Amino acid sequence: MKFPRVQTVLTVIAAVIPLALLAILLFLGSYAWPAIRFNGLGFLFKLTWNLGNLYANPVTVAGQVVPRGAQYGILVFIAGTLLSSAIALLLAVPLSIGIAVFLTEAVGGTLRELLSFVVELLAGVPSVVYGLWGYAVLIPLVAHQIGPFLRSALGFLPVFAGSVGSGYGLLTAGLVLALMVVPIIASTLRDALLHVPIPLKEGAYALGATHHEVVREVMLPAVRSNLVAASILGLGRALGETMAVLMVSGGALNYLPHNIYSPVTTMAAFILSQLDSALTDPTGMAVRSLAEIAVVLFLISLLVNLVARLLIWQTERRSRVAHG
Amino acid sequence: MLAPSAPAIPADGIQLDRGALSAQHLQVFYGRKQALFDVDIDLTPHTVNALIGPSGCGKTTFLRAINRLHDLTPEARVEGKILLDGIDIYDRSIDPVDLRRRVGMVFQKPNPFPTMSVVDNVTAGLRLTGVRHRGKLQEAAERALVQAALWDEVKDRLRQPALRLSGGQQQRLCIARALAVEPEVLLMDEPTSALDPQSTARIEDLLGSLKQQVTVIIVTHNMQQAARISDTTAFFLAGSLVELGPTDAIFTNPSDPRTEAYVTGRFG
Amino acid sequence: MSLTARRSPTPRGLRRRRLRGQIGWTLSGLSVLLVAFPLIDLLAVIVEKGLRALSPTLFTQVTNGISGGLWNAIQGTLLLVVGALVFAVPIGVLSGIYVAEWPRSRFAGLVRFVADVMTGIPSVVLGYFGYITMVIGLGWQFSLLAGAITLALMVIPYIARTTELAMLNIGHDIREAGSALGLSQGTVIFRVVLPGALSGVLSGIMLAVAISVGETAPLIYTAGWSNYAWNGSLVHAPVGYLTYVIWTFINQPFASAHALAFAAALLVIALVLLVNAITRTLLQRR
Repeated sequence: MKFPRVQTVLTVIAAVIPLALLAILLFLGSYAWPAIRFNGLGFLFKLTWNLGNLYANPVTVAGQVVPRGAQYGILVFIAGTLLSSAIALLLAVPLSIGIAVFLTEAVGGTLRELLSFVVELLAGVPSVVYGLWGYAVLIPLVAHQIGPFLRSALGFLPVFAGSVGSGYGLLTAGLVLALMVVPIIASTLRDALLHVPIPLKEGAYALGATHHEVVREVMLPAVRSNLVAASILGLGRALGETMAVLMVSGGALNYLPHNIYSPVTTMAAFILSQLDSALTDPTGMAVRSLAEIAVVLFLISLLVNLVARLLIWQTERRSRVAHG
Repeated sequence: MLAPSAPAIPADGIQLDRGALSAQHLQVFYGRKQALFDVDIDLTPHTVNALIGPSGCGKTTFLRAINRLHDLTPEARVEGKILLDGIDIYDRSIDPVDLRRRVGMVFQKPNPFPTMSVVDNVTAGLRLTGVRHRGKLQEAAERALVQAALWDEVKDRLRQPALRLSGGQQQRLCIARALAVEPEVLLMDEPTSALDPQSTARIEDLLGSLKQQVTVIIVTHNMQQAARISDTTAFFLAGSLVELGPTDAIFTNPSDPRTEAYVTGRFG
Repeated sequence: MSLTARRSPTPRGLRRRRLRGQIGWTLSGLSVLLVAFPLIDLLAVIVEKGLRALSPTLFTQVTNGISGGLWNAIQGTLLLVVGALVFAVPIGVLSGIYVAEWPRSRFAGLVRFVADVMTGIPSVVLGYFGYITMVIGLGWQFSLLAGAITLALMVIPYIARTTELAMLNIGHDIREAGSALGLSQGTVIFRVVLPGALSGVLSGIMLAVAISVGETAPLIYTAGWSNYAWNGSLVHAPVGYLTYVIWTFINQPFASAHALAFAAALLVIALVLLVNAITRTLLQRR
């Protein structure tokens, strides 16, 4: 190569990206390390998050200096994270399929452009604005309409029974998250559906399939792996979402949700909302334990994204093979 | 399951009256462009009919008018009549979905449904129409695969993904898929153009026996193929039907000078 | 199939199948409505309440407790966005060019993969990383620089991937034509391919702007919050930003605080929409 200098410079600059990922892992990990030592595996399975007695003399446990009585368990936040994300996906996946099918097959021309724009807009709304809308509109709606309706309609299931509460909670968080995840899944699926080969569709039509049967029996199965990958990406988004959830979830501490209306806290929301109070811990263990939550969240989202990216990569490779 | 030696017999036997097709004043437009001009044609049931002509001459357009595939293209418009067993398929009382069950189609490139197994591909049309009985489906699949001369090759791998078959096998799978719903007419749009000579020969061999079940209308680029396989040949040029006649006559003694020029290779 | 069944216009089974299809289409349409309606309501609520709170003093006065104006937050948001772009544009664009121009190198594959994975890291995790390393570790405290670099970390992968796609859209023949003229590889990339890909690259940068304007979580523990206009220092001084107003002030039990929150939300949404509109025109011109 005649001018290797360009390549060298660009390589060095591009190296910033993997190095940044490495740095995030290393710095978060090393900062959290004392907490990881102190908390052990119980971190993930204990219900109680208790900063301990911040005014008494600290004690030394497992080689770490901590406030007396301090205990850091994040099971409540793990449960809140997983449950709110699960509700979001349960709602968002069917909605996204419906939207993608509608956009690709039911409408064309200007209307398709317009509705695609709406979906794109949905992706562009900042999460704190979703939180604001959730606070101003959705919380009263859940407290007075959606919640009571669900309780009367589905109250025979324990999940939907019991007090509807104030509107802050799991259901509202799940609803807001669903809105935020829909554009991710719907737009990926729409693109995949638009790329289903025409001969495949014509093959189904020629066999005497109705339009909807072509969609249901041929097109949707053909984009199944795209749907899975997009749903996992959406899951990653939901797991890590902070502001919107923080503003509508009610901030439960030290107890697990008992029905779908219960207040919850997610890992991301907890990290953000608790730094101030953790800073009051003179031993610093509370802040380090928050960093440990960040590490756990980081690893979960890393894993989720790795799986999604590998799936996408595999799908792309397979379709490249199939089309020669 | 089926007895291994069970020969395939069409469920309701051969009906010689089924599959009579004719077109009257057929015209097709794409937007403002006319692709087919005033085509009149009359095809005998249970024959193999080849449509030949240079590319863009309207032969595929004609083919796709027969199963109303043009309905799927908003810009496309069809005028005139196509009679199947004496009934106009463009009549308002005819449902195109129902029509396509009676008129099967095989495409240029094999297009098996990629997410389905071999047997599910064959039974796809039947399952759409609500056949759920496993034994019936199995029976129909075997019958269609035998008719498509594929049974011996795939009988041990019926549950495998269809995409694992070779290109020639995939195309015969598509033929079996079309035959499984027992159509009256089978449309084939250059079905061997994407295949190697061996696979092509297998499909050509197949056509002779297929006409016992269906009226075959095949578009082909290859005049030797038309001469080998068809009873009747229609020559299209620039959207018009120039000549229709017994294949021998078309290739040895055409009545139109343009047909002669084409079949002797002077253009195309 | 009997002849009479064939004659009847639409067999019963088919009518049932068509009905099932109708139900399917209806459900599809309902999904669109179910998602479009909240969005319209969201926009309507924020425009309505935001407009009511809008006044010229918002743009001239700084926040005073829970009332006053938003000048400090508007200025801070713009500073943070510009600051993030200062770091993110060169790194993102050049990385994208590298990945596009040396697609077969293993390292490029790694960069592309890591960039994709990084778009999935929760922004609050990045904020915490910024807090540990810059705010505490380097002793910058809550500051413009810590906030801008954290935002940059967030948006670099987006810029890199968009740049890569834009560069790949330029056909191979154009590169070959450039090389055939005797131009060096660097000249071909920066003088021939990049100008052609410019609108795509700019749309990636616009996306980064939109994300930066709307982010909150990574800033709270890096940029902090300030009631005052920027004093010109990059470190040791917190800065305000619009999204902070939205999430903090809505929790205050005062009408003036709520009004400021909605005004801030209106400004944020307006900025994001404006940036989106610019991106669209950029992409349409291509």
